Amino acid sequence: MEPIYITGAGIVSAIGIGKTETLASLLAARTGVREMKYLPSCHRELPVGEVQLSNAEMMRTLGVDNDPRYTRTALIGRLALKEALEEARLTTQSEELKKIHFISATTVGGMDRREMLHGKEPDNNLLHAIIATHNGADCTEMIADYFGDFASLSTVSTACSSAINAIITGANMMRCGLADIVVVGGAECLTLFHLNGFNTLMILDHEQCKPFDRDRAGLNLGEGAAYLVMETEASVSSRRVTPLAILSGYGNACDAYHQTASSPDGEGAFRAMQEALALAAMSPADIQYINAHGTGTPNNDESESHAIRRVFGDSLPPVSSTKSFTGHTTSASGSIEAVICLLALQHQFLPVNINWHTPMENGIVPVTNAKTEKEIRHILSNAFGFGGNDSSLILSKYDS
Amino acid sequence: MEKKRLYIQAAEQVSIQQPLSEQWMEDPVCYQDTFVRAINPSFRDYIPANEVRRMGNIMKRALVTGLKVLNDTGIAHPDAIITGTGMGCMDYTVRFLDTLVENGEQTLSPTYFMQSTHNTVSSALAIYTKTHGYNVTYSHGGLSFEQALFDAWMQMQLGTISTALVGGHDEMVESHFELLQKTGYIGVEGMVPCGEVAMSMLLNSDNSQDCLCELAGISICHKPTMDGLKRQVERLVHEAGMTMGDVSAVMTGVNGKAANDDYYMSVADTLFPNVPLLRYKHIFGENYTVSALGMYAAAHCLKRNAVPPFMYDTSRSLSCDTLRSILILSHTEGKEYALMLLKRP
Repeated sequence: MEPIYITGAGIVSAIGIGKTETLASLLAARTGVREMKYLPSCHRELPVGEVQLSNAEMMRTLGVDNDPRYTRTALIGRLALKEALEEARLTTQSEELKKIHFISATTVGGMDRREMLHGKEPDNNLLHAIIATHNGADCTEMIADYFGDFASLSTVSTACSSAINAIITGANMMRCGLADIVVVGGAECLTLFHLNGFNTLMILDHEQCKPFDRDRAGLNLGEGAAYLVMETEASVSSRRVTPLAILSGYGNACDAYHQTASSPDGEGAFRAMQEALALAAMSPADIQYINAHGTGTPNNDESESHAIRRVFGDSLPPVSSTKSFTGHTTSASGSIEAVICLLALQHQFLPVNINWHTPMENGIVPVTNAKTEKEIRHILSNAFGFGGNDSSLILSKYDS
Repeated sequence: MEKKRLYIQAAEQVSIQQPLSEQWMEDPVCYQDTFVRAINPSFRDYIPANEVRRMGNIMKRALVTGLKVLNDTGIAHPDAIITGTGMGCMDYTVRFLDTLVENGEQTLSPTYFMQSTHNTVSSALAIYTKTHGYNVTYSHGGLSFEQALFDAWMQMQLGTISTALVGGHDEMVESHFELLQKTGYIGVEGMVPCGEVAMSMLLNSDNSQDCLCELAGISICHKPTMDGLKRQVERLVHEAGMTMGDVSAVMTGVNGKAANDDYYMSVADTLFPNVPLLRYKHIFGENYTVSALGMYAAAHCLKRNAVPPFMYDTSRSLSCDTLRSILILSHTEGKEYALMLLKRP
């Protein structure tokens, strides 16, 4: 495919607000997974990757009035989108924005607001009813409206692979000649709903998660948002912006195995990675780093290890999961990890797999040293979701 | 880029009309209620009984419509499964949320959570048919189905897929209906009932098989001016190799609520003052993805080359002499608009 240029990126997660803080945490191997501070859950025993700002603090930072309608997802999303648009030198509240398509991913959407008011409906007012009927589109709209009118809004929801699929839809729009610039990514806050949901599935680690470790005991949930501004070559040259990186390929496949578990041979993951390589016209040997989905659950890491080995065989590049930094940011993880990969390309380091100690049987041995032996030119990043919605993308270094 | 021609090979529904049938075209079921549940077909004719018990309504309905379409077209594994749903598995989501809020965080079971994500339907279709291809779910309120269809259309234009099972699915539960009624979204005086939606169709870029109609184009825009919308319509019609005069009828989502209908009438009066108008929500009710049923209805009208008389909007005393094409117009609160153009092949 024709290269797609990334000209802006924004990220908010437990390891920082913005790329500078995120990079510093990654290089210092400093996790953001810690004791719960904002989520009003009784499960204090579960460490989480929370964005270290309250809703009120985010509203102050954004300069908006305190309004209970704002979902935490939307507030986190706005912070990340602001950074991305500024870096790409796109003017908000402008005619320029009206030609740009916004595709955002979420699954829990405004569930935090629903939890706040649920069961209080008999004595609530219209405002409460409006809040309680939030759907995914409302979050997307709430994030977008702060900046002005986009050409179109779209919401992708494929659970934990949602954000990569938003990137894919945006890329397809560009390849079809329907857009010169798209802004893509995902946002998701922590909620009692999915924290308890994952807890009932018994896949949450009570300590910091240990992806690809023999003794891994599950995932830590996190929250965050990340967005990418993607442009055609013509748009990059007419706007005279400097690309940060290139989207070279992507793939989407379905594991078609189980609603909440991955197949033992990782068929969906295998196909998604193969497809991404084929679209990028690359062979496995062209990839210098894999940012794995690597949740830290026994099932995912085993299945993903198989899938990666099936694709890469003897030419296995360094692999790591960065979920021990951010927690599993579910619908936002695909774009959060894409920005982490972008930082790795720009600053030439390998994001390490913190908390890893003991190899698993026939598993991937992940990266623990950030220093890279080879120049990192191409990175493959995975995101897999419930229902076997598996997606991969390939990001490449931009040489100015 | 030369536009590829795409065909709707089959489309099936479960709704407040008789399921898996076009009986509504002769004999529509009429309702006076504000909230009507879908008429379920015999799920066990399509899905083993032990599995039926473990599935929520939305999933069962999506599966039977999807399986019937695949069976009827003989396409066991479509290249893509793409779904639009406004609220996803609402029933199971609300059940998990209710238990969480009422009984606290200690007594939950995973059953309802496992089927609560929006992509449950699309992945169940893949799991059930062992289809490993592209699989995505859009959840963008009242335009969720249009976005799913738009994705299929794009990928067919790119040549990455040639067959796609595209669907629009939404269920409704009493407690959520009450909230929506309170906000005035639904259930207000004079409005069509709130219904439930399951519609699956097979889109194919190969027309060697029999088909219902051609999907001649689709367009989605956000806060367009009337001029901007006019340009979108003209471009869509032009790219389909048609003129504005070739649009035989415009199908709108009028539902009896002035705040909704005024936007439709304003567009229809400005852009299509002399074209017959069709409606479908008085037959299928209102819900996020009900435009999927509008498309299904339009496709079957084109196939039969006839519009049931009750589908004409009586605000205009116009009917179709010839039925060559139908333009389906959708909007959400006058902010986002979608256009879908269907024509006889």
